[in-house]
Amino acid sequence: MSLWRDIRGTILPFWVTLRYLFRRPVTVCYPERKQIPAPRYRGRLILTRDPDGEERCVACHLCSAACPVDCISMQAAEREDGRRYAAWFRINFSRCIFCGLCTEACPTLALQMTAEYELATRELLQVVCEKEELLIDGCGKNDQYNFYRLAGIGVAAPRGSNPGESPPVDIRSNLP
Amino acid sequence: MPTLIIDNQTVTVPEGTNVLEAAKRLGIEIPHFCYHEALGSVGACRLCAVEFREGPVKGIQMSCMTPAKDGMVVDTGSAEVLAYRAQVIEWLMTNHPHDCPVCDEGGECQLQDMTVAGGHGIRRYTGPKRTYQNQNLGPFIVHEMNRCIQCYRCVRTYQDYCGGTDFGVLGSRQRLYFGRFSDGPLESPFAGNLVDVCPTGVLTDKTYRFKSRVWDLQEAPSICPHCSLGCAVTPGARYRQLQRRRARLNNQTNGHFICDRGRFGYGYANHPDRPRYPLVGHRRVTWQEALAAMQSKLQELGELFGSGSIGLLTSSRATLETQFLTKRWAAALGSDQLCFEAHPRRDFASRVAASQQLDRSASLEDVRNCDLAVLIGADPLSEAPMLALALRQAARRGARIVIVDPRPVVLPVAFERHAVSVDKFSQLLRGLGRPQQGDFSSSMEELGGSLANALLAAQRPLLIGGTDLLGPQGTQALQHAAKACSQPEKPCRTMFMLTGPNSFGGALLSANGPGFDSLMEGMEQGRIKALLCFEADPLADYPDRKRSRAALARLDMLAVFDCAATATVQESDFFFPTTTVEESVGTLINNEGRMQTFEQVFSAGTPLAESASGSHPPRFFTRDIPGSEPQSAWGILSALMGRSADLDALRREIEKNDHRFAGLSQLKANGEGRRIAIPSQHPESLPLNIASSIGSDQLQLLVTETLYGSELLSSLSPCLQELIPAPFVTVHPQDATRFKLEEGKKVLLGTPMGDLTLTLRIEGDMVPGVAIVPRLRGTVLEPLVPGTESLPCRIEKV
Repeated sequence: MSLWRDIRGTILPFWVTLRYLFRRPVTVCYPERKQIPAPRYRGRLILTRDPDGEERCVACHLCSAACPVDCISMQAAEREDGRRYAAWFRINFSRCIFCGLCTEACPTLALQMTAEYELATRELLQVVCEKEELLIDGCGKNDQYNFYRLAGIGVAAPRGSNPGESPPVDIRSNLP
Repeated sequence: MPTLIIDNQTVTVPEGTNVLEAAKRLGIEIPHFCYHEALGSVGACRLCAVEFREGPVKGIQMSCMTPAKDGMVVDTGSAEVLAYRAQVIEWLMTNHPHDCPVCDEGGECQLQDMTVAGGHGIRRYTGPKRTYQNQNLGPFIVHEMNRCIQCYRCVRTYQDYCGGTDFGVLGSRQRLYFGRFSDGPLESPFAGNLVDVCPTGVLTDKTYRFKSRVWDLQEAPSICPHCSLGCAVTPGARYRQLQRRRARLNNQTNGHFICDRGRFGYGYANHPDRPRYPLVGHRRVTWQEALAAMQSKLQELGELFGSGSIGLLTSSRATLETQFLTKRWAAALGSDQLCFEAHPRRDFASRVAASQQLDRSASLEDVRNCDLAVLIGADPLSEAPMLALALRQAARRGARIVIVDPRPVVLPVAFERHAVSVDKFSQLLRGLGRPQQGDFSSSMEELGGSLANALLAAQRPLLIGGTDLLGPQGTQALQHAAKACSQPEKPCRTMFMLTGPNSFGGALLSANGPGFDSLMEGMEQGRIKALLCFEADPLADYPDRKRSRAALARLDMLAVFDCAATATVQESDFFFPTTTVEESVGTLINNEGRMQTFEQVFSAGTPLAESASGSHPPRFFTRDIPGSEPQSAWGILSALMGRSADLDALRREIEKNDHRFAGLSQLKANGEGRRIAIPSQHPESLPLNIASSIGSDQLQLLVTETLYGSELLSSLSPCLQELIPAPFVTVHPQDATRFKLEEGKKVLLGTPMGDLTLTLRIEGDMVPGVAIVPRLRGTVLEPLVPGTESLPCRIEKV
């Protein structure tokens, strides 16, 4: 029995190779032709904007906390209207392992993964991306979501006027 | 001593302990929001429910409201209890906003922890969420009322514990509002504690707003350097910037809380003007060059003029290690011109205070437990704010507080007041030292005698003295009085407010060494050619600035080792940057003789926020950290003496050398510290009291410490600088009428340090014949230093 198995094991791979000789190749001639990855491909990260056109990122540090290789750093700041935003936001793609944990952690859906995979460069600093390079002018995925309208602290709209909120309590009244 | 069983473990606790505390002793943490060790139980949050299976109560009860009793069998984690708690959390979360990503409490939020622990994820209730308008609560606290869970901790802290009256609870039912009646800064100097006690993000630190997340902070147990009490704090730093300070628990000193000067005074470490490079003749050089240049200059001076030509000075800001090595180095140089405080009267007062019998020395815990406190020449809120809070706790337990002081004193508690001028203190102290005697020659002595009798009658009597007003003689007299009022079974304890965080250490090491006056004479006569200042600022701290400036100008060499841009640094020939408390390790001895060590929080360097240009941090790779030159003063001294910078070896050496510091090498930074083993010798000679005569058209000038603006390091903190008042002078209404002065108008104050134009305040609650000015650094009042003998001054309309 074992002899038969050995002969079959030797011949079968040759047969597979022979068969593929007469098929169309699966490789593409990169970079002349480019592969189109799946929609959920985990490529370069971007920062998106909310439907009102404001930056979605609130610099909550959850992405940097989730990042297993510590490639995200930022500094939060406060705008005059009370909106928290990232004064600077940096992703070091030379460290990034494209695991996607940061996008899962992102509570405002600001940080999203794109299908862009062409990041190789000879210049190391080119892959250390600042906010200007990461921020896009669109919503990306989930184009209806606006964190500040649902957060319940009245930054995007006055207190009590966001969906699911009652008007502010009149503290000088004890009437029911 | 009831014995009960919690989760199958037996524990015996003192009578009156609640079940929540009893479980804590076993290491079982029962979830809770409203209960706080310092504030007590109210049973408002309903989260600490446990199941009582056997004993006097049965079923589900609040563990914080149930005192432990014999025979109780408690289950803290039964299915029923867990379901109950999950329900409570779900109710709390019906109105709580979903804004954790923009909330500064995130990461240290008890509600966040409990929500995750209880398993609540989806809000089932579909009704609208309650909202509130926020208030502007001043420069320290951010208000976000939507996050409130009505635990009442803030009101209990602010009103009950800290004695504030302008923050409270309004409204009813589920529309409670915790805030002020209208917008405005919180008035209590302990308002910052609201940040620590709030279990959610309703009250957060405005100076720390959006700077970091707590999990990114570098933290370590440290000591507050802003007064002599040595409160335990936990500073937090990130990106080489000190970003906040929180209270740390030390039951012997501050308890759970700290004052706002300690909490918000941290900005000096990040000050943009902080000198961060070694300088020789105001030229930036490397450490090696600077040290070599200084040492060759020292050698040259030593050879020319002898070793006595070198003077050394440290201050109460220097750590025990620095002070000890300075003493060692002075011995190695062969110089006996070593002094530990640039203010001679404060120096000798500290030395007297350090000779106090240790069993009669009071800690802040003793203050909280006293039943009679007599304060003489002490204004706790200005000189050592946490003492005021400790006195309030004593008064809440029924203690009587008596204050004898010429100044208008404010305390967060009702107290008995005797306005007595400083020159009557000696009579008063004489009376205080003679309890149970009748033949008093003056009314002051009689007052002293009656206070002495009260101290004798009290169970836990306490005498508190401010060394600035008492001076060395007064401090000594107060100690004698305490001895006279003591009985073997109930000693009359004393506490003195000293100059700085390590005044006590300096006093222990100085023994009978010279005061700064004798160094000053040496400099004026040209005997002392070089002065080495370790974290000392003789220009600002010596009472006579003209004299100190002239004396320092005569020196051939002035070397300064400091972490702040002081006046003396500007005059220095050699400057060496040192680290702050948060950037190094060391030991400080507080005003009761408690040795406390602190750990390094972060490494010195220019904060990233400062060095980051444009919209992001630098985009180049380097191993050099900008501004990382500062080194610990004791490290520099070790290098100068050719020793290795080994802290453990140094502490063992201090211990071995001086038995008073026994136990130093075993101290843990997160412990309660340790009292020194034996008190210091009483200094052999004290400088004489030279009271100037006050003419009939003159007033007595009294310079006093204030809460904000007097202490060097906190006065450099940007957020406290906003609160430093405009320079003013306070007089009694009688004097105002006598000199025809009006409240709020500008007046000219003629002092020995020059004529100053100040705003007039009139205050009835003080002695007449005195003009009181606060010490305010960086203003026209800068040259006036507290703690001096009384000086005459004139006052007139501008």
